[in-house]
Amino acid sequence: MSRLRSKGISDSTMALLGKMGIEFDTLGAEEGCCGSVLLRTGQTGAASRVAEETVRRIASRGFGEVITACPGCYRTMSSEYPQIVGDIPFRVRHISQFLMEKEGLLRGRLGTVNARVSYHDPCHLGRHMGVYEEPRQLIRLIPGVELLEMKYNRSRALCCGSGGGVRSAFPELSREVARSVVADNLPGEADLLVTACPFCNFNIKEACPKSLRVLDLPELLLSAWRG
Amino acid sequence: MENAEKDWIVRKREELKSWMNDDKRRTGLSRAISAYTSAKERALSRLPELEELRKEVRGIKERSIREIDALVKVTIDSVREVRGEAYLARSAAEAKEIVSELTGSGKLVVKSKSLTGEEIGINEVLEENSNRVYETDLGEFIIQLRGEKPTHIINPSVHVPREEVAKTFSKLLGKGVSPEIPELVGVAREYLRDKFCNADIGITGANVVAANTGTIFLVENEGNARFVSNAPPKHICLTGIEKIVPTLQDAFKVLQVLPPYATGVFMSAYVSLITGPSKTADIEKTIVYGAHGPKELHLILLDNGRTRMAEDSVFVEALYCIRCGGCMYECPIYRVLGGSFGNNYFGGIGLIWSAFTTGEEGVAVAVDACTKCGRCKEVCPLGIDTPRMVERLKETLVKRGFLTPRHEEIKRNILEKGNPFGEDEARRD
Ligand code: SF4
Repeated sequence: MSRLRSKGISDSTMALLGKMGIEFDTLGAEEGCCGSVLLRTGQTGAASRVAEETVRRIASRGFGEVITACPGCYRTMSSEYPQIVGDIPFRVRHISQFLMEKEGLLRGRLGTVNARVSYHDPCHLGRHMGVYEEPRQLIRLIPGVELLEMKYNRSRALCCGSGGGVRSAFPELSREVARSVVADNLPGEADLLVTACPFCNFNIKEACPKSLRVLDLPELLLSAWRG
Repeated sequence: MENAEKDWIVRKREELKSWMNDDKRRTGLSRAISAYTSAKERALSRLPELEELRKEVRGIKERSIREIDALVKVTIDSVREVRGEAYLARSAAEAKEIVSELTGSGKLVVKSKSLTGEEIGINEVLEENSNRVYETDLGEFIIQLRGEKPTHIINPSVHVPREEVAKTFSKLLGKGVSPEIPELVGVAREYLRDKFCNADIGITGANVVAANTGTIFLVENEGNARFVSNAPPKHICLTGIEKIVPTLQDAFKVLQVLPPYATGVFMSAYVSLITGPSKTADIEKTIVYGAHGPKELHLILLDNGRTRMAEDSVFVEALYCIRCGGCMYECPIYRVLGGSFGNNYFGGIGLIWSAFTTGEEGVAVAVDACTKCGRCKEVCPLGIDTPRMVERLKETLVKRGFLTPRHEEIKRNILEKGNPFGEDEARRD
């Protein structure tokens, strides 16, 4: 999803990791969809095949750890793959968890951004995986940023409306949900909405094209980077 | 099959759209949602003991469902012991037959809200037999007059804003009614008063049933269920077998959790506990049935798919639901789709209920509208894992041929090109 529809997110993520001096690689043209959407849309047989293939590809390249920019991939690979293929030979984390661990490489290297930022908790990252604090801590690392919480946040956050195969089945519904979330939930004073999921990002951006600036977490950090 | 498939999607898609684009309904819904959420938050902060209690209730429900067959038997015996009658209806058709027999024709029937009644299509049967039927719950009364279907399990007319209610009532009375909420409530009160007293039969659902005493719990705020179950000479109570818990004590625990989550009140205004028909022994210590309350009490326990649910290790959780309706108000999709997000029962949990009681086909499309975001599980007093059940239901539906063409295309793309969009890897950079 990220690579093809929200290329800015995968590019920014790689650029940021590069600037931080982190050694990493991707599967390149070998990289495929993790199969999350297949699990959500009842196509479990195909999902199992994708899971097995993905694990095989990653393992054959000898990676010890996988970092995902997408919470859906993170949840699927870390908590659902083991149920499908058994033990997997690598660790999976979301980019926000990884970056927080490497917080030292970010501290002092981010320039001032004068913005009132609100953070949208992605369902797969928050409710399904319990990751609420890391993205917030990262946003607060940027000098000048004021974090304004959404009316409903963390475990009570409102879904953006794009997950679970809904966007493909009913695109107009997804957009309408995103609009209702932004209208009822976003503090009026916020001038930037930060997401940590390519699906939320894409959907909210598309639903509110004019009224709102939306950035994904690595994009925000990269834009604040001054080296 | 190709065409049939398209039909089931097209029909429902239109219904979803009509809800999404209906500003009046959306206004009604969003007013109700914000009133509900603030009331609930207040109630929960005043009742910290609920935290423990709801865990206990979860345990009670788990045990009850495990022993459901035995509890049905105990309940039937208990009700008979106090001179009521009790029946187990295996299917909607069986339940309808029992109701028809008990009601006959040409009767005046008053009803309080019962989604179980909706589930079997009870009004249709009563009317076919030339009975006059009045819904007495204000919300049900409104939608009955409007010829609509309920859209929320606790607040069936949640989608009708006050201005629309005024129009409906003006038509009923043949004179103008102002859209002030208290006045609207007054109209219903006046209109229904003599219906209660003259009715031949009162039909209610039940919120909880205590097996060992055969006690029916009716929980309400309006006072109509109390009237319905008390004024007419015959009371018929129709409820699902999953409402049964072993003892009165268990039932009281469920009772405490329900109101704050259902409507944001500490306790509902009225809780009626009914154990058998009314009776007196005041003359010569001779028991006579039918004093001021009903002479006859009939409890119909409905299975209609519930045993099948109980036998499935995933779907069994749906039977723990105490039908507070909280998860519907809190659902980001329900806010937009309202009553079209389900079929008789609503929201994620409603999809499961509907699939088992009124058939999978009716929810095949609505299932695709659920993002499985998990907010329902988070706000459920019993922590019911609805998203997991919806995913499982989707899997079953796909096996039966209800696979959305767009999702199938995504599968093909992923398997053939490695991405959901079907783009070639070469184009990637
Ligand atoms: S699933 Fe939970 S929140 Fe929803 S109606 Fe049932 S008990 Fe209430």
